[in-house]
Amino acid sequence: MKTILQSCALAASLLLSSVSAYAAKDGGTLAFLVQPEPPTLASYVSTSGPIGLVMPKVYEGLFDYDNDGKMIPILAESYDMSGDGKTVTFNLRKGVTWHDGKPFTSADVKFTIMEVLKKVHPRGPNSFREVTSIDTPDAHTAIFNLDNPAPYMMRSFSAYESPMVPKHLLEGQDVKSAPLANNPVGTGPFKFVEWKKGQYIRLDKNENYWQEGLPHLDRIVGRFIPDASTRTAAMENGEVLYAAYNAIPNIDAVRLKERDDIGVTTDGYSMINPMALIEFNTKEGAFVDPAVRRAISTAIDRRFMIDTIFFGYGKPATSALSSNFKATNLHAEMPNYPERGDVAAANAILDKAGFKKDGDGVRMTAVLDLIPYGEDWRRAGEYMKQVMGDIGIKLELRYEDVPTWLKRIYHRYDFAMNINYFYQLPDPVLGVHRHYGTNQIRKGTHFVNSSRYSNPTLDALLDSGSKEPDAAKRTATYKEIQTILANDMPVVNLFELQFLTVYNTKLKGAYGSAMGAYGSFREAYLDE
Amino acid sequence: MTRSSKIFKYVGKRLLQGIPIILAIVVINFFLLNLAEGDAVDVLAGEAGSATPEYMAQLRAKFGLDQPLPVQLMVYLKNVATLDLGYSFRHDMPVSDLIFDRFAATGLLMTSTIILAVGFGVLLGLLAAMRLNTWKDTVITVFALITYATPLFWVGLMMIVVFSLKLGWFPTSGMENVAAFYEGWDRVKDIAVHLVLPTITLSLFYLALYTRMMRASMLEQYGQDYVITARAKGLTERRITFVHVLRNALLPVVTMAGVQVGALIGGSVIVESVFAWPGLGMLAFESLFARDLNLLLGIFMLSSILVIAVNLVVDIIYCFLDPRIEVS
Repeated sequence: MKTILQSCALAASLLLSSVSAYAAKDGGTLAFLVQPEPPTLASYVSTSGPIGLVMPKVYEGLFDYDNDGKMIPILAESYDMSGDGKTVTFNLRKGVTWHDGKPFTSADVKFTIMEVLKKVHPRGPNSFREVTSIDTPDAHTAIFNLDNPAPYMMRSFSAYESPMVPKHLLEGQDVKSAPLANNPVGTGPFKFVEWKKGQYIRLDKNENYWQEGLPHLDRIVGRFIPDASTRTAAMENGEVLYAAYNAIPNIDAVRLKERDDIGVTTDGYSMINPMALIEFNTKEGAFVDPAVRRAISTAIDRRFMIDTIFFGYGKPATSALSSNFKATNLHAEMPNYPERGDVAAANAILDKAGFKKDGDGVRMTAVLDLIPYGEDWRRAGEYMKQVMGDIGIKLELRYEDVPTWLKRIYHRYDFAMNINYFYQLPDPVLGVHRHYGTNQIRKGTHFVNSSRYSNPTLDALLDSGSKEPDAAKRTATYKEIQTILANDMPVVNLFELQFLTVYNTKLKGAYGSAMGAYGSFREAYLDE
Repeated sequence: MTRSSKIFKYVGKRLLQGIPIILAIVVINFFLLNLAEGDAVDVLAGEAGSATPEYMAQLRAKFGLDQPLPVQLMVYLKNVATLDLGYSFRHDMPVSDLIFDRFAATGLLMTSTIILAVGFGVLLGLLAAMRLNTWKDTVITVFALITYATPLFWVGLMMIVVFSLKLGWFPTSGMENVAAFYEGWDRVKDIAVHLVLPTITLSLFYLALYTRMMRASMLEQYGQDYVITARAKGLTERRITFVHVLRNALLPVVTMAGVQVGALIGGSVIVESVFAWPGLGMLAFESLFARDLNLLLGIFMLSSILVIAVNLVVDIIYCFLDPRIEVS
């Protein structure tokens, strides 16, 4: 009797577990939009957005991050940090192999960090600057030795930010031009098959993936479609099932949202924290006086910009830091960032600072440069011209192509006011410091301190903020930093961009990671 | 000298004449392109998210962009002489591979467009001229006017909306169904289905031109003396039109078609963009923004070779159409 009951129970539990396993179906091909076509597949050399859409499915990082910001073990199973924060021991996962069959070991981790990311990655030299050496006592342990504690480093281990690359395929070669670039070999759930330029990138399932039962999909294909309306049509027709980072323009997304089979979400961008802002030239031209910059910030109706140009997708900025940093207690609300714009107050500031209006009501003239990434930014420029006209600043708009614009702003500093957007990334040290530090005035380097703002007090605060392991002290430091910046405003933050992901509802399981589209899709499946 | 050997000599002479033209085009374009602000390294660095001046100097040395312009030109010409079109640093591939890859797609679109546009244009123009001032003529003329005046990208998008989204007869974009990975005949059928909408869109514009030109040309021929003579001889209208007038009326249309083949490589940027067709037009357009001069020069050279070749073919067709024209 007992044995019959036991075997019934066993059968029942087996049945139940197999039923729940059917929740995620295996098989199928996911076609999704990659816009624009990536210039290369070497995600260890370039952080260009479109590369991030494809390569984190092939390469992996030590950790991933879920929507609450918690670390998910990927290539590292766990880590231990010493009390003083200067030694971090990573226990690596066993039984992981590269797509070419060779085993993944701590030697790969050491090589990736010391020889690749610290040397040629755009943000690596900053993220890992405190790492002086890595010890590898055995194949599955990597010990990072730091000069100073680096709390922000723990936020930069995703596959997008710091992909682990195979030492045996890069050693002894020039990392920037090695053949691995366009023939990637990683440890990820999908392996690279082919890249047909102008058409698609094809990734097939990694049959030997370290996690049992994953991935579910047989194949992922990233399609390149240059025209925005055609992208929307492809989504409507079900030819593509997923489009992130505004590959579908907002104006179409709000229309597609009404359909039952299409969903739109703003999730998946919390590790990116994009911020639209204005960079000012603080050394020459019309805007050297901080009072003028404060007046400009006061006059702008941020809510209007968000609602009219970006269809409501955005959050007005309230300080130099994104409000997403509230999660780590670093954000503090600051004055001079009104949501609705106060033209009267702005005019008062300018009057008080001594900038008189002439007969036509003009106090000063300047040229406004715009980031040449699309029509939305042209609209933003047009709005800016309008509102600046209200406070007596006459603006002329300038829209050039990317290389010309980059040269003008970052090589020649030949600008007065530049509308741009930056990723603030998961920690201010990674994405915010680069605007304000004196040591970030690097002529010829893109996307760093172009306003040439230099404040020794602030430099000291930035430095201590990056090294401070105590959370409460860090909060206080960053509050001071934001207060100074709210007054000096070499960069005026406009609003936090909310990128949209448009997806077909038969695609499931692509949203567990905070990295969103820059995630691995290993749990994604198609529910036809 | 027999006619065919005369033609061969002529062809040979024209090909030789073509070489200095191509050379001149390459040199002029080289200097023109270099006038643009910024270079490939700026673009690559900008896309990477950040790059130090040292890295950019390194890249420039690697690409040979730090050499003075005349030296760069000499190096390029020397390479071209050995059929080495250079390396595209943006795509990390030799230029010749890139171009031949995309040339098939462009060639397919171009050929089907010309066949459709010239074929239908001639037919419609013929019909309009034969049924002059009747309702058929009016309908055709108005149709030609509308298709000529409507912007290409709008026509393309409307085709997608109607035939792809609403009716579901054709796919929205691309050259093949990327999720299916067909082989053999299935692939041919798949590409053919994807070819329909882009071809119709592109050919509608040129069709209008050929229709109007053919109609005008036919009408001009009808007014010639030999037609009056033929009628006096008692030939049927049918014979006059199809055996005599048609061949003469075709001459201007053939000229126009020859000129447009050259334009088609560039003119299809819009259609390639709307339909995500992986052709040379989009490649040239993107490489301009990427300052990928090697690739651009390669495409320009291919373009000029094509134009010269087509002009040659048109001249030869002339002698077959009109026996009075001889190759000299």
